[in-house]
Amino acid sequence: MADPKRSLLRAVLALCWLGLWAVPSSAAAFDRAAFAQDLCGDGAAQVRGAEDLVKAGGVLPADDLAYAGRLLGALAERRLTCPADGALLLDRPGAPEGHDALTSAVRPVADARAPVLGLRQRAAVETARGVVALLTGPDPATRGAGLSVVERRVATVPAAVLDRARDAETDAGLKATIAGLAQAAALSSPDPARRRAAIAAVAASPSGAAEARLTALKSDPAYTADPAFRAALDAGLSRVTRAVTIGDGLAVLYNGLSFASILFMAAAGLAIIFGLMGVINLAQGEFIMLGAYATYGVQEAFRRLAPGLLDLYLVAAIPVAFLAVALVGIVVEALILRHLYRRPLMSLLATWAVSLFLVNLVRVTVGTQNLQFIMPAYVSGGVPLYADFVVTWNRLFAIGFAAATVVLTLLILRRTPLGLDIRAVTQNRDMAACLGLPTRRVDRLAFGLGSGLAGLAGVALCPIYSVNPGMGSGFIVDSFMVVVLGGVGSLLGTLVAALGIGGANVLIEPISGAVAAKVIVLVGIILFLQRRPEGLFAVRRRR
Amino acid sequence: MSGAVQTALASPAGPARRAVRDPLIASLVGLCLAAAAVLVVASPAPYLVNALGQLAAFAILAVSLDLVWGYLGILSLGHGLFFAIGGYVCAMHLLADGVAATGVLPDFVQFMGWKSLPAYWAGLDHSAYAFVLALALAGLVAFVFGLASFRSRVNGVYFSIISQALVYVAMLLMYRNDTGLGGNNGMTGFPLLFGWPMGSPGAITGLAVAALLMLAAVLAGTRLLIGSAVGRRMLACRDDETRLRTLGYSTTRLKLGIWCLSAMIAALAGILYVPQVGIINPRVLAPDLSIEIAVWVAIGGLGRLGGAVIGAILVNGLKFWLSAAMPEAWPFILSGLVLLVVLVLPNGLLDLVALRPRPTWLRGAR
Repeated sequence: MADPKRSLLRAVLALCWLGLWAVPSSAAAFDRAAFAQDLCGDGAAQVRGAEDLVKAGGVLPADDLAYAGRLLGALAERRLTCPADGALLLDRPGAPEGHDALTSAVRPVADARAPVLGLRQRAAVETARGVVALLTGPDPATRGAGLSVVERRVATVPAAVLDRARDAETDAGLKATIAGLAQAAALSSPDPARRRAAIAAVAASPSGAAEARLTALKSDPAYTADPAFRAALDAGLSRVTRAVTIGDGLAVLYNGLSFASILFMAAAGLAIIFGLMGVINLAQGEFIMLGAYATYGVQEAFRRLAPGLLDLYLVAAIPVAFLAVALVGIVVEALILRHLYRRPLMSLLATWAVSLFLVNLVRVTVGTQNLQFIMPAYVSGGVPLYADFVVTWNRLFAIGFAAATVVLTLLILRRTPLGLDIRAVTQNRDMAACLGLPTRRVDRLAFGLGSGLAGLAGVALCPIYSVNPGMGSGFIVDSFMVVVLGGVGSLLGTLVAALGIGGANVLIEPISGAVAAKVIVLVGIILFLQRRPEGLFAVRRRR
Repeated sequence: MSGAVQTALASPAGPARRAVRDPLIASLVGLCLAAAAVLVVASPAPYLVNALGQLAAFAILAVSLDLVWGYLGILSLGHGLFFAIGGYVCAMHLLADGVAATGVLPDFVQFMGWKSLPAYWAGLDHSAYAFVLALALAGLVAFVFGLASFRSRVNGVYFSIISQALVYVAMLLMYRNDTGLGGNNGMTGFPLLFGWPMGSPGAITGLAVAALLMLAAVLAGTRLLIGSAVGRRMLACRDDETRLRTLGYSTTRLKLGIWCLSAMIAALAGILYVPQVGIINPRVLAPDLSIEIAVWVAIGGLGRLGGAVIGAILVNGLKFWLSAAMPEAWPFILSGLVLLVVLVLPNGLLDLVALRPRPTWLRGAR
């Protein structure tokens, strides 16, 4: 997803640095014999050889690097022996004969000396081996191992090595790691111009990590000593801080919106049922749970019958979950609630019993463990939009789902005969009955609609929350708060209340914690009800 | 107008006489006293005594809810909050008392790395102060919440929902470890009860007897209240609040007073409950427990104090027995019981025995 202009700029910059480093190094071409001599020499010579190799790593041809890698590997594994002329590579430690390092000819070991690595030398040799592995390793795993060695001693590795490795790297993840390391190395480089350029480069792609990295530089001695450095750092830091603040604000808004979507999905069905029948459906949370389990059933059916179309199960689950849960709702209405319309508090207890029954039924038949969902590509991952703000697909799915539900439900309520009936019965049940409306049938269909909406909420939750038999209880209090605040029987009120409560929760949470956010929101709702006991948008009822 | 009011109005000889004439209450009170006497004399197995004491505490809790739901039409789904206030203050008292006696700090205080109990625990080792504090705290919370709700005429299911949210928020709050009240592990390990080692047969019997006597006192007291002029006003308020207000009574004050009283009785139940089980944690604040209290009342018989007691003892007795015998089946039995009661026996199990003719007001909208 990289910006092509930016990568072009990076490539040009890299080339410039490459040029800077290439000129002095290439003057002294790599002397294979001298390198072997160094490794066979005393401790100081070994270190010098390894460090020279690391310094020249950015420009050496690949075959020279491979040669050096063979020697260094042999030295580290005690397979290197040093006769008077040149060096021998053994197949295993203590073998009687070996290949000449330069000519590959087989020669007896005879009385050759085997150099031993001291602690300091070993560190230098390991770093050099890491550089070689990073630059010439055949597969990402080898190069990654080399990178982790280089990372430990990044101060001794010139930028040209990292730039060369980054430009040659084909594995995207490794490439990003190398780029990050190169940037960090450049920030602590001794060359002031290069540091300033690195600061500008870090500031160009703002993130929380970049902010932390730049802030750490403030304690650098150069910050007080070098005014140019100071100005560059201050400018870069203020730019990053502003971008991060905006990005975090966007992230908060986005999270609030997605939380509000979930709240709305959970509360919409409740609002319709409550507004129409005055029934508090405490089983609504369990209906959501059933919707999620129906989604799981659809996934399993796809896995068995049509594994090729498995990615589409989430879409196919939408009508299935709606109809299945609506059916459960209609059965509950017909068997139980029908008899309790005149006793709302008893219907509350009855729905609680239904919820207890459903939770334990699922617990006994399916089990208490969290269900495992396969996440299709369209609900996993996300796009980094600005600074630390990442638009995650699963939350966007929930938001889009909720938006579609709002529109569809409004259309049903405003534009269909059933919606007309529901609104009539909500406003004045007796008058609607007098005019010949079958109010009981309207009740049943509306209860089915409300339950089906809970089923849809279950589908929307699958990519975000963990799905288990007890998941419903977490929503019930919040969604009732939404209904109470929004005003009974008003879908728009429910929407506004969901947005308000979701937003308030997300805004307060980072300041004073999740629990305090809930407390403050509840107190806010109670205070609000002092002013408007009927909620935000009370439906005018004619009695 | 309605059976209950007529029965209440029938006898002109004053509330005390009427209370004695209520056969259900009188026999329940007698039963409590008799059971207490048997416990003292015969001293049966400690676990039975303990179970009986817990049942009595639950019965008090059920009576407190029946007082507001059955007689005032206010269904609280947050009575667990007041129960928990009593329980928490009682647990604090027992721990503070233990610290004063043994000098060993409770586990959670050591866990948080504190050197002593937090400052607001001061004085809690005096039992009289702790007792008053528990009741006053429950009353105060109920007053503030009730004032906010009743003043703005938050009624019916609205009130139920908001009270449920209240207990839910309280649960979240108590799950935090920095409140100084034990966090999610709660408080346990009470060493002493009035100088007796906790868990000794004497302490168990003492607690059970206290709970039974308290239940008898609460039953008698609430029955007196129901029979009085205030009780008649409560019924009137439940059946038609607007009319009562039009007649010049302040229904807000009436509801607020009874609501606070009910909260304090619930706190009393919590005080009696915690030393018997030896632990309190935020799970008593789970919304489900508060709904269960309403279930006890509904199963036993809403709007009759005896029904609340019978429901609490029956459901919890079954729960004690079944959750050990067949834990998988218990939730199904409970939900079946609730559905049976709300569908077939609208006045609870008391309908089965038909101790008196079915009051007509229960059929009306509430």
